[in-house]
This record gives sequence, structure tokens and C-alpha cells, in this order.
Amino acid sequence: MNDRGPATSARPVVNPGADAPLAPPPRERPRAPATPWRRAVRRFLRDGWGLAGGLIVAGFAIIAVGSWLGAWGTDWVLATGGQWEGPSARHPLGTTILGQDILARALASTRTAFEIGLVVAALSTLLGALFGALAGWFAGGPADAAIAWLKGVLDSIPFYLFVAAVAFALDDHPWAMHLAMIATFWTTTARLVRAEVIRLREREFVEAARAVGVPPMTILRRHVVPNTIHVLLVQASIVFVAAIKSEVILSFLGLGVEDGISWGLMIAESTTEITSGRPWNFIAASSFLFLLVMGFNLFADAMQDALDPREERR
Amino acid sequence: MLSAMNAPNPLGTGRGPVLWLVAVAWLALAGCGDPASREDDRVYRHSLDGVPTSLDPAEAATIYSSFVVLNLYDTLYRYAYLARPYEIVPNLADGLPEVSNDGLTWTFRIRPGARFVDDPAFPEGRGRPVTMHDLAYSLKRHFDPAVRSQGSWLWAGRIAGLDEWGANGADYDAPVEGLRVVDDRTLEIRLVEPYPQLLYTLATAFSSLVPREAVEHYGREFGVRPVGSGPFVLETFHGALTRMRRNPHFERPPLDLEAEGYDPALHARYDLEALDGRRYPFVDALEIHFSQENAARWSSFRAGQVDYVMVPNEQIDAVLSSRDPIEVRDEILRDHHAHAGIEAGFVYAGFDMSDPRFGHHPDPERDAANRALRCAIRDAYDWQERNETFYYGIGEIFPGVIPPVVPEFDPDLPDASVRRDLAAGRARLARYGWTAETLPELTYGLVAGVQQRQMWTQFRSRLVELGFPPDRLDVDNFAAFGDFNRAMKNRQLDLFFLGWSLDYPDAQNTLQLFYGPFETPGSNNFNYRNPAFDSLYERTRAMQPGPERTALYRQMNKMVIDDCVAISGLSRTRVHLWDRDVRMLPDREILGGHFLRFVDVERGGGD
Amino acid sequence: MEGFRFVLRRVAAGIPLVLGVTLVSFVLIVHFGPDPTWNLLGKNPTAEEIAQLRSQMGLDRPFWVRYAEYLRELATLEFGFSESTGERVGTLLGRTVPVTLALLAPGFVLGNLLGVALGLLAAWHRGRWIDKAIMGFSVVGMSISFLVVIIAFQWLFGVWLGWFPVRGWAVHDLGSYLAHVTVPTLASVFVALGYNTRFFRAVFVDEIGHDHVRTARAYGAPPLVIMRDNVLRNTLIPIVTRILFSIPLIVVSGSLLIESYFGIPGVGKVTFDAITTGDQPVLKAVVGLTAVLFVVIQVLADILYRAVDPRVALE
Repeated sequence: MNDRGPATSARPVVNPGADAPLAPPPRERPRAPATPWRRAVRRFLRDGWGLAGGLIVAGFAIIAVGSWLGAWGTDWVLATGGQWEGPSARHPLGTTILGQDILARALASTRTAFEIGLVVAALSTLLGALFGALAGWFAGGPADAAIAWLKGVLDSIPFYLFVAAVAFALDDHPWAMHLAMIATFWTTTARLVRAEVIRLREREFVEAARAVGVPPMTILRRHVVPNTIHVLLVQASIVFVAAIKSEVILSFLGLGVEDGISWGLMIAESTTEITSGRPWNFIAASSFLFLLVMGFNLFADAMQDALDPREERR
Repeated sequence: MLSAMNAPNPLGTGRGPVLWLVAVAWLALAGCGDPASREDDRVYRHSLDGVPTSLDPAEAATIYSSFVVLNLYDTLYRYAYLARPYEIVPNLADGLPEVSNDGLTWTFRIRPGARFVDDPAFPEGRGRPVTMHDLAYSLKRHFDPAVRSQGSWLWAGRIAGLDEWGANGADYDAPVEGLRVVDDRTLEIRLVEPYPQLLYTLATAFSSLVPREAVEHYGREFGVRPVGSGPFVLETFHGALTRMRRNPHFERPPLDLEAEGYDPALHARYDLEALDGRRYPFVDALEIHFSQENAARWSSFRAGQVDYVMVPNEQIDAVLSSRDPIEVRDEILRDHHAHAGIEAGFVYAGFDMSDPRFGHHPDPERDAANRALRCAIRDAYDWQERNETFYYGIGEIFPGVIPPVVPEFDPDLPDASVRRDLAAGRARLARYGWTAETLPELTYGLVAGVQQRQMWTQFRSRLVELGFPPDRLDVDNFAAFGDFNRAMKNRQLDLFFLGWSLDYPDAQNTLQLFYGPFETPGSNNFNYRNPAFDSLYERTRAMQPGPERTALYRQMNKMVIDDCVAISGLSRTRVHLWDRDVRMLPDREILGGHFLRFVDVERGGGD
Repeated sequence: MEGFRFVLRRVAAGIPLVLGVTLVSFVLIVHFGPDPTWNLLGKNPTAEEIAQLRSQMGLDRPFWVRYAEYLRELATLEFGFSESTGERVGTLLGRTVPVTLALLAPGFVLGNLLGVALGLLAAWHRGRWIDKAIMGFSVVGMSISFLVVIIAFQWLFGVWLGWFPVRGWAVHDLGSYLAHVTVPTLASVFVALGYNTRFFRAVFVDEIGHDHVRTARAYGAPPLVIMRDNVLRNTLIPIVTRILFSIPLIVVSGSLLIESYFGIPGVGKVTFDAITTGDQPVLKAVVGLTAVLFVVIQVLADILYRAVDPRVALE
């Protein structure tokens, strides 16, 4: 299949059920080969909402790191209180059916969310960059066709079905969910990178490098990949959010986090509690989730704007 | 953007899919909804926490299947509506059977007048009379390798020639020695050895009478196209709802409350007297709403969308004003009836005894040490805590594996095996030299689900208290029960937690779980092998109920307790709530559902 | 004639895709999926019974034989019977797919129409407070988990306010349809709207920046006319593409949560149950047909592009 310009980036679709990652809305491609990073940072700092988003994300990152280092959220499994206690000084968000501290669980879940988000975002972006660059550089060749086929196949299997199948396939392997998400999320990144690479390949400085006989791999490494960084960054942040949101639904369905704690598990626990007037599990998990995703969305938006050379024209 | 975008493009193409979707939606409306209730219908709407799969009686293994199957099909016997302990009474049968002196020949008769519902499977679509040929056929089906029977274990090795009939090609026209149809209304069953539970098996949904015409007409689809002679006829069946209509051809003598075990002291408050002497079923239509989520089930009851609910754990405080004795809040009783009853079954944890690290061991010394380890785990287990957390604190904790609901239950059994005693557990470990270094790694299996996970969390912390290093306690998550079952039957789980629902009110039903020859993949998931137990089991197999058999049952129970095979157990107390204008006493035990024919509602209209 | 050859070529190009999807999913289902045997056994099974059951379900046959049979089933659209209920798979899908469509159609249509409308509004007022307010709401909408929305809406409308049924699908006339479809529709619109608005706004912003729109604006053409003639007409391709491609995903994945939470007998719930019980005939049908649907939609989209721009076909 050949590149269809904007129509291609319109192809990945948001699915309200899946919270699957979506391509950033079509924007005009950057005009300059390299965007000066300093200008991007300056622009980012001018964006109030983006900054707020960044701060929220940073806050959660601190929570995650602290929980990882054992500074807080460590006693999420122990019964430190009575059954279903309301909020108190000792348990600011109350306790669960087993008397566990809900705040500690929400904090520990932040770590889980970051782990999943980072692993999935990093690996799926890497995979997407690799396959996208290959497909773009050899556009029209057999490698491109094979990658297009693979993308088509993975995109055509319903997301939950795929994750469920992988979860079953790996029995209860802790990485089953990660693997399934990586396998499905790289396709969008690859599609965008491919388009970008095709565009770059035609540009003068690449043509020039080719003309003087620089080996293709060097050109790819030195001229092409660095120029797709902005696409990768934005795409990685989108995948990060998608992974966190998917984790919640998968864990709720019993296909996600198995031996640990996550917001999805907390929400799954809470469904029976809401109707009996014990909303704290639900409130804690859903507001943590909302805040982090919201922060990340704002952050990603601002980052995209900052990295997008087109903004010059405003 | 492609420059081509400037080309004119009729808006019409863009509207196409949208219009198409709208059209589909309206079409779907016409075709797929559940049928409307008629204005003057009296409909009873029950709710259940699980979903039946197949409605083929041969596969009716769950409570949920039984609830539907027992109302669409006839069985020879059923349990009396109100009498407790459970008491078997004739349903389609004409009285109790005649049993020969050697206990091997049972002669059953059915009442006249029963007929199958009209169905295209019959010539001219008209249902025909039910005969004993149908019972013989229905029992044979369980032994036909082509039928996926889940009930054959009830009769395996019991009826003369039946197993062989199945092994020799399952030719339905070939006779079976032990199933002799004397005439249309009489069947003689010849047994290989006395089978005191035979009557009970003929009250299970498995024993429903199915017409051969329908099985052959519908083939594989028989599971969704039931054709029976029960009190109701199927109208709709899917994963969320089943709707049945009264079977106009169903004829039974009027309801005799006294014969059903009516006791004014217990039952007067349910307004059942008005039903005495009337012909059942009383309602025009019966709906069963399957809703696995507690919250949704409870909410739809509170919103008046169903008439009945079994109170979920987390709502108990909102319903009860006192747990001991169980008392329901006045404001609930204003609009609802309530009833609390103990389940015919129990929950328990078990060990895989085939594992020499903690189970049976050829070396008597190690065997004793392993036993001490299991007993220590049992000592550390806190039934009280589990009861408080997960069963409203109103479950009944009892020692051993003979639950309170069966007549053989021994209320005087010492409760040491269900009393938490952490110090004793630790002492046991110390005495046999178990230390944090030597304790084996244990794998616990669970089916992914919130409650199962919470139960394991609780269990796990008790084991850690006992001295297990946390990293030696693994959990194996299974997304589906089938996979959990496979792992258990393949002996991959060291420790598991299960529930058992009785198929009939006889302790034999739970004791068979420990019978050596039934080791996995059979029902003995513990892989418990105790020759003394096995020989007692074999002795009681053919014994009639009575003090002598009860004494032996209790002896077997004690062996299971002494060997620390299981951590057992607790029978859950179910609290049922239903609308005031519904006259009934609900029950879901012994794979129940028979009571639905006796339900009446006072209002008209569906919703 | 040339058009027909074009369609044929596109359909042929879809065949490797269908083969790929079926192969990948079949490997996953067959080799790793849950074993249905263990759901279908009685309480005291023997080893022979287990072997018998497995052979009845064809689980003991070689992989390639079974895969070939799958392809044959897909070609003839005859998938046999569900292993758990015994219902014919065709009947099952015929029963559940319309429910899912009826359940999701209003939300889908509304979500897209509102998304286009809000996207246009925001793009037209780009940079002004209307734009900022709309985009703010869309970020909030995008940040809330679908799961949280479903739980909260069910509790809010079904339990607390009591306006709509909590669960079920007792649909027999327009009134009951509306009663059952409203809360799921609100939930899916709420969640989809954020994404849709953002997407459509970006498309429109791009178009509004073009010279022909600027010119029309400069000449003082009424905004509604400009939107219809210059903006909407020219952005149809990305809009329709997006809508088309979201259909297969929505039908299977999008309905799963709603259907299981609201107790609605649609195809998403049936599929999920089939996953957890290892009901292979149902899974094979759903996965295979979804792949075919994808190919069909791709062909449709290609035909659409070609209708708009003949040069596409010449590539």
C-alpha cells in the first residue's frame, strides 16, 4: 500500500472501548530538518497548561519512584486497619474489605502504572521506529510490504481478543499484558515514522549524502532517525497513556496485573462497594488515574506543539 | 492535504454509513428484543448470580442450568417444597418405587396424562404423551460417548449393562438389561449392587425425561432448543435472561401445603396459605435474570426490575439489624420478605496429597512430618476471619467434611480442626523440624476474580504468620475455571480453595471426594489415599441410611480430619429477599429450582 | 470494467491479510487458549472420558488439518456449533450482532456528529475562548477511563437517580429501546467525544488554513456556506476513513465492557465468554469475520478515494 498522505494518519482509529492509542491529529510536517531543542523548551515553558501537565506527571513520577524505593505505599498488602473504615487521619482514604490502607494501595499502584507505561511506551516506540524506518527507507520493496502486512494483521485482531489470547498464551506470565500491548501499539508509530522517513529521503541533505556515497545505514542513523525524534516522543507519550488506560480495563477483566496492585484491580474491587456506600476505593483509583492521564495528555499536547515547527507561523 | 481534496465530492457518500447504521439499529429493534410481556400476565422475575450454558439435561451440572432445566423438563422425583431436612417426594412418578428385598430391582411408575410440549420435532408439531421409554432413553444418553454427559458419574457402574451398552456403540434400539420398560408407565431398574442414593439421582436435572424425537431433530442445537414436559415452556434464552411461559399441558394434583412440609411457625409469615389446594404453576410467565455482578444484581432488585435477590456480602449491613440471631431491618421488611437459610454445601481448602513434599510419603517418619506441616497450616488458618470478611459473619463453621445440612452431620464433633491456634501450629512445625529453610514452596491456584484474590491475600498472610517466607508462596492465576480445573486435575496445584454444592442430601456425596480410586482426574482432587477410608467407603456404598451407616460416615470424616487433608469447612448462610407481593419461599440448594412452580405474584403486568 | 478490476485487485490484496489474521489468531487460540475440555467434564471424570471429549471436539487432530478446516469454514461461513451451549454459531451471531449494532449505533452516530460539529466550531474559532473551552473539555473526556465512566453512569442514572434500567435488554418497542440504550450511549459518547473532537478539529484547522477557504472568508461568504462547500466537502476523506475503520473495532472491542457491565446479550460479551471458556468455534468465527470486515472496509475506503481522486488508483 502506498502512502496516502493525511488519509493514512487518519487510519488509526480511536475506539471508545479500547482506549487504544491514536495517532496525533494530522498536522503539517515540520519544515526544517532539525528543530532547535532550546526553542522547543522555551515554547513549552510558555504553555501554562502544558507546564501544569508536566508538573502533575512529575509529581506522579516522584510518587512512583518513592514507592519503588520503599519510601511509601509499601504496606499496601497488610491489614493495617479494620474492614471498610472511612477516611481518618491514620487512613486518609479509608480501608478495604481486608483492612488495607487505600491510600497506600493507590500510591503503590502509581508505580505499577509507570512500570507498565514506561515499558510499553519504550519498547513499542523502539519497535515502531525500527520497522517504520525500514519500511520507509525501502518503501515499495518487499520489506515494506511485509511490514505493512504485519501491521495489517495486528490491527485487524480485536484488541481485547488479542490481549486475552496472549495473556492465556503466556499462562499467567507477569509480562503477558506488556507483550500484548507492545505488539499492538507499535503499528501506529511505525506508520508515522515510515511517512516521515519517506519524506526525509527526498530531501536535499539526504540526497546529497547519498550522492557522495555515504552508506545507507549511516544516513539512516545520522540524518533520518534524529529527524523523527519529535514524532517518536509524542507517540511514546500517547502510548504511555494508552497503556495505563488499557491496563486498568484489562486488570478489571482479570487479564492484567496478577500478583500486585493496580488501579484496575482497585476499581474491580470497588464495583461491589459503590452500591453499598463505600466509594473510597473507586474514588481513589479513578481520580489517581484521571489526574495522571490528564497531566500526561496536557504534557503531550504541549510537547507536540513545542516540537512542531509549524507553530512558527502562528 | 492532498490537493485532490478540492475536487467536488457529493455529501451524500459521507452520509451513507450513518444512514445505514441508523437503519440497522431500527431493524435490530424489530428483530432481537426480548418478547414483551402481555398486559394481564403475572410474571415472576428471579435473579441468579451465574449463567447456565447448555440447557441439555445431560449437561445440567450447575445450579444455574438446573434452575432452568428443572422447570422445562420433568423428573421422577423432587424435594418437598418446604420440608427441611430435604425430603424426597414424587414429581412425575406415581408414588415411591417398589424395591426388591435384595435392593437390586426397583420398579418405578409414572402418573398418566403427562405430555411433551408442542414442537416441530414431533409429527404434526404436537407433543406426545411421556412414557417410561423416555426415561430409559434419557438415562442411556448419559452413557452414549457422543453425548457430552456431565452426569454419567451418578449411575456409572450402578445399572446393569448400561456402561457396557455405551461401550458397545450406544445403539438406542438395543436393550439394556438394567433398564426394562415394562409398559409405558412402568420401568424396572436393575442394579449391579444396592444403590441407596438412586432416588436422589432421579431428582437431579440430569435425570430429566427428554424425548428422543427432539434430540434427533435438533442435534447439537438441542442444548438451546429444549423440548420437555415441565411446568414451563421456553420463550427466550440467552446469556442475560431466560423467559418461560406456563405450560398449558402441565397437570399435577393441586398444591398440598401440608405434604410439602408446611409449618405455620416457620412459614406463616410468607402468606403461602392462599396457595393451598390450587393448581400450579401459578404465574403466567417466569423470568430468570442472570447477572454475575453483585452490584448490578442488587441495584436491579432495589430498582424493582427483579423480584428476588440473594443478598450480596457487601450489602449485609444494609439488610440485617443483627447477625446473631439473624434479623432483618424493619424498613426492609416493610416492602420485602426475607429468609435466611444455610447452603447445602460448603467451602474448603485442600492439599494435593500426591506431592511427597507435604503429602503422602512412603517413609513413615517423613509422612508424619508432612502431616504435621499440613496440620500446622490448618491451625494457622482463621475461619472466623474469613467468615467475618466474606460471608457476613453468618456462615456456619464446622469441622470435617460432613456439612450441617445433611442428616449425618455431627454437631458434637470437637472443633479443634477449625479453631485458629497459631501457637499450636508453630509448635507442630518446631517439633517436626520444619524451619523457614525447609518449608516447601507452595503453589496456590485461583481463578482470577476480586474475591478469590482477596481470599488468597488473607490466607497468605496467615501462612506468613506461621513462618512461611513470603517468596515461597506462589499464586497461579487462571483466567478461566476450566484452566484452573485442568491444573488441579493434572496435580499442578499444591493448595486450592473450592466450594462444593451437594447433588443430594447424603454425606456420601462429599465423602466420595476422598475415595482413593477417584483420584484425579476424578473427583478426589486431594489425591488422598487411605486404604482404611476406602474400605469403609466401599462398605457404606450399598448401605441403607441409618445409625450404622452414619457411624461409619463419621468414622471416615474423622480420618479426613486426623490426616489434615483439607482445611474444612464453612457452610454459607444465604439471605434471600423478595417482594412482598410475591408468595413463595425461595431455595437454591441441592441444584434447586423446583420451587419456582409454586411461586405466585399478586400484581399484573410485566414491568 | 477497469473499476471492477480495481475492486478485484483490492480484494485479492486482502487475502494475505485474512490469512495472516486467521493464522496468528488460530495459533494463539489453539495452542495457548484455554482448554474447553475442562469446562465440559462431569464431577468425576475418567481419563477415557477426557480423551473422548477431546476427540469429539477435534482437539486431537494435527494443527494444519484444523487450520485448513478453519479456512474452509471461513470460506463457506459455516462455523459449526458453540461448544458450550450447542447453539449454531451462525444463529448465535445472527442473534447477538444486531443487539450490539442497536446498542452502539446511537452512540457511534452521535459521537461522530457531535465530534464533527464541535471540531468545526473549535476550528472556526481557533485560538479563541470557544476553541479553548472545547479543547479543554475534550482533554478531560480523553483522560477519563471508559470503565470509570460506565461504572459511574450506571450508578448515577440507574441507581441513584433511578431514571433508567440498571441492566438488561428487555427491548420490545421504541420506549424500552430508548430506556436501555440511553445510559450506554451517554457513556460511549462521553468517552468518544474527546478523541473525535480533537481529531476533527485538527482536520478542519488544516483545511480552514487553505487559500480557497481564506478567499471565501475574505469575500464575506456566510460561515455555514463556507463550512459546507469548502471545509466539510474537502475533509470528507479523513472523516469517512476514520468512521469506516472504527466500525469493526467498535463492534467487537467497544461493546465488551458495556455489554458485560449492563448485562446485554451482544457479540462482545459472547466473544469474551468464548475466550474464557475456550469456545473455539465462536472465537474462530468472530476473529475470522472481523478480519474479513477489515478487508471489506479497506476496499470500500479505496473505492471511495478513487471516486474522489482518480489518481489514487494509478499509483
